[in-house]
Amino acid sequence: MSAVDARAGARSADTVGAGDRPPPRRRRPRHLREYLLFLAFIVPNFFFVIVFAYWPVIYNAYLSLTSWNMLAPVKEFVGLTNYTDLLTDGDFLGTLRITVIFVLGIVLGSMVLGLAIAVLLNEKLIGRGFVRTMAFAPHILSGAAIGTIWLFIFDPNYGLLRPIFGVVGLASPNWMTSSKWALPGLIIVYLWKNMGFIATVYLAGLQNVPRDLYEAAAIDGSGPWHTFRKITFPMLSPVTFFLVITTTIGTFQAFDIIALMTGGGPGNSTTILSWFIYQQAFKAFDAGHAAAAAMLMFVVLIIITALQARFLERKVHYR
Amino acid sequence: MVAPARLSRRSLLAASGGAALALTAAGCGGGSGGGNGFAQASGDKVPDKYAKRTRVVVWHAYSGNPGTAITELAKRFNESQSDVYVEAQFQGTYDETAQKVTAAVQAKKIPDLVTFSEVNWHNFYLNDLLEPLDGYFGSGLKRSAYNQKLLSEGVLKDKLWWLPLARSTPIFYYNKTLFHKAGLPDRGPATWDEWRDWSKQIKGLKVKGKQVKMEAYQKVDGDWQFQGSVWQWGGAYSNGLNVAIDQDPAVAAGEWQRELIFKDKMAYMADSPSVDFQNQLIATLVTSTGGLQGMTEAAEKGKWEVGTAFVPKKEQQVVPTGGGGFGMLAYSPKDRKQAAWKFIEFCGKAENSAYWTLTTGYLPVIDAAVDEPDLKKRLADDPNFSTAVKQLDIVRKEDEVRLMVPNANILIYTGLQKIWANNTPAKQVFTDVAGQLKKATDKVRKNIEKHI
Amino acid sequence: MTTSTVDSPARRSSRGGRVLRYVLLVVVACVVLGPIYWLVTSALKPTADIYTYPPTWIPNPLHLRWSNFADAWHAAPFGRFFLNSLIVTAIGTVGEMLCATLCAYAFAFLRFPFKKVLFGVLLGAMMVPGHVTLLPNYLTISDLGWINTYQGLIFPGLGSVFATFLLRQHMMTLPGEVLDAAKVDGAGHLRTMFRVVLPLSRPMLITAGVITLVAKWNDFIWPLIVTNSTNMRTVPIGLLFLKTQEGYNNWGAIMAATVLVIVPVLVVFFFAQRQIVAGLTQGATKG
Repeated sequence: MSAVDARAGARSADTVGAGDRPPPRRRRPRHLREYLLFLAFIVPNFFFVIVFAYWPVIYNAYLSLTSWNMLAPVKEFVGLTNYTDLLTDGDFLGTLRITVIFVLGIVLGSMVLGLAIAVLLNEKLIGRGFVRTMAFAPHILSGAAIGTIWLFIFDPNYGLLRPIFGVVGLASPNWMTSSKWALPGLIIVYLWKNMGFIATVYLAGLQNVPRDLYEAAAIDGSGPWHTFRKITFPMLSPVTFFLVITTTIGTFQAFDIIALMTGGGPGNSTTILSWFIYQQAFKAFDAGHAAAAAMLMFVVLIIITALQARFLERKVHYR
Repeated sequence: MVAPARLSRRSLLAASGGAALALTAAGCGGGSGGGNGFAQASGDKVPDKYAKRTRVVVWHAYSGNPGTAITELAKRFNESQSDVYVEAQFQGTYDETAQKVTAAVQAKKIPDLVTFSEVNWHNFYLNDLLEPLDGYFGSGLKRSAYNQKLLSEGVLKDKLWWLPLARSTPIFYYNKTLFHKAGLPDRGPATWDEWRDWSKQIKGLKVKGKQVKMEAYQKVDGDWQFQGSVWQWGGAYSNGLNVAIDQDPAVAAGEWQRELIFKDKMAYMADSPSVDFQNQLIATLVTSTGGLQGMTEAAEKGKWEVGTAFVPKKEQQVVPTGGGGFGMLAYSPKDRKQAAWKFIEFCGKAENSAYWTLTTGYLPVIDAAVDEPDLKKRLADDPNFSTAVKQLDIVRKEDEVRLMVPNANILIYTGLQKIWANNTPAKQVFTDVAGQLKKATDKVRKNIEKHI
Repeated sequence: MTTSTVDSPARRSSRGGRVLRYVLLVVVACVVLGPIYWLVTSALKPTADIYTYPPTWIPNPLHLRWSNFADAWHAAPFGRFFLNSLIVTAIGTVGEMLCATLCAYAFAFLRFPFKKVLFGVLLGAMMVPGHVTLLPNYLTISDLGWINTYQGLIFPGLGSVFATFLLRQHMMTLPGEVLDAAKVDGAGHLRTMFRVVLPLSRPMLITAGVITLVAKWNDFIWPLIVTNSTNMRTVPIGLLFLKTQEGYNNWGAIMAATVLVIVPVLVVFFFAQRQIVAGLTQGATKG
């Protein structure tokens, strides 16, 4: 996290701050006013973020060191036991494995599909404006609505996929009632939800690629795939950077659709980290393990985001 | 909107003051209430005509028909007397209701009466949050009025903590029309082996192009029906707090179902077996009595006939009970507890119990309810409806580990899903589940032993 | 935006290529719209037609079951739920956008020591797992006496990270000359913000506003926990009132209620979508 914004901040200093301001002289009084104004502007937002996001994290960090059933008057201090329990628990490690597949599947899949759709919609085709608008719509539906719709679509008996599979002479898999298909099924639902949003953002990026680059490529006799690889994709790298990070964070937090469609099952086949935390806290009433798992997720997300920022940014092409 | 004077000041403070307000306010506790710092949960504004009465907050888990019924009971109660005002509020499923009560206890702003599921109430009992109800019985409502088998399920340490309300048992449903087509007799099978023989005759049938199967297992919460299977095969989830799910009878019951799915190909795991039964995808189903009304309506629309029978036997003929009942929160002050009991008394009147049963399809928890004219007529007219009541003779309270150990039910049905969906051998699955159950039990063992 | 004309590199595509593109366009449209179409038509079918095979693709226009909507509407006080959702979403969105705008402006244009670190702290809040906030926030709201009130529904959502992030990224792309001109003018920061920055940020404000609004409208867990009574519930919770524990559900009515939940959001989106697309372009590609 800090890496992203450190960088973003650094850029901001370059673009807006230091460059166009006169060298500081007798900075004190004027700066003081600006500092105060800065504080006044950020205080409302920070107040709410601290009270309703960071205070819970602190409280949660404390809970992660206790054993507590969420009802007893006392919380017993147990040190790091909850953490060592989790990290030696096969089920929890399985959860991590499933989380990795889930996140990778959704992030990679929706990036590829989104980019492909964006490239398609970037062509001058009749009706593309309509498709572009509609493609975004799934992104704003509530999880409850999406879960309800897709449960029906996946239903092996009445679902919409049965006739579609029937066309090619196959039986529709028992998506949500099969350990093999439930995770891919969920990934499909999230791809459906995400890809239009990603396509829209990519499309915007595509339209900002200067035409002269393509013209130059055309003169060089470069083929379409080559042009895409050498010009389009590099030019899109800032978009990719933004999308990968926000999609990753969003996917880690995925919950409501899973709650409605699989409840983490069958078996543990769709128990990702966020569902595990929910189940430990509100089904097993095991606040300590839930809190420890949540702290791990928090830290993992920060690390992943920082790494992504570092790795991707090296490849980002800024104009 | 609510109490604007106080709120505007508060919101002003919250918006302009520092985080300190939120954090220090924690020390002040919350307003009026019992001597122990517990206040009553907030809710809707009390209607003016009831303003001077004692307000009782009931949190329940009923939507649909049961929701209508409990709302109606509260309304009738409020109109029937002049001391108590009951506010009944829907809080989501049993689990969501329990979660809300958990949060409410932490916040020390609690309801007075809550409908807990047969599993959830134990957790509150074990943390000393429930009120023993024995002392409240009297001329208004006698202890003997209740079905004693159902009532006894709320007893621990010789005291009553949980009163039956929305109770049900699994019964055996079958599609009479399909049975007729397959040349089967118009009755439920006596044993599971007979049932399996019959499945061979069902096998050839097709409805709307789909091969009809014999039964389906419920993906989530299927451990309730399976509790019955384990007993029927002569085993148990646990004996006392000793986990027994990895022993032979339970494993045999699991293997039976695995064979049906993967060898006979006559069963499968479903999101909603009831829906599949209603659509004639399966010919028989073991599920709650509470679904009867829905089945009957669906059968009428689909032009077929639904039949019910006792659940078949294997080694034994026995079924579990399930569903919800009232628990009273111990930290509610005395006057409100007394007032809350008035509502329980009202629900315990034979005519009200009959009304509840007729509207919801749940078992009559008050014995005398079956003599009320409406219910009596219904029982006589509809043999399906009376199956459940007759089956009350063979019900048993669920095994302790499933009831008392938090998360045990989820551990069990997650294991069952592996058998049903992955074809994992039952022995292997139940060995794992037993390990998890033992670990979970050990965490709470001391506390449970203190309380039973 | 510098270039808005779209001229793809593969102009010299063959006729076959064009046909293929149209086929793909139709496939994309079907994949995206199919589920939504199916939801909407199901809301007009009797339950028996929802659970049927082969599926009824086009419901009989003479037998549309509008009563599903009436059933859903009467199963719970949806009128009240809509009012509550409107109040909470409207006030919550305006409040959050206010916080976000001020904060974004400060991070984009004002100097402060350790500004980057502070911004990092703010972004970190996006990574807080959702469930950990439930109990502590319930306790905080309870201590304030706000359980089952609009304040309790609204306040915990006022802090803004994503919207602040979007707005700040956007503000940093504004041409420096505009701001300098404002400075020379002697405009104070407040005036610069209202006269120059905000008008230039309109698309992004709308984008962030819609994203914020959608999240608030769809929110489920927090409203369920923080409200106790029917009078204070919001629309997404209304769906719960339609489902029973015993698994017998009037699916037609549930579908109708689901449509009721999503329609307001879709309407807002269609009105705002042009701006949103413009806003996202600026936010994501530059900065």
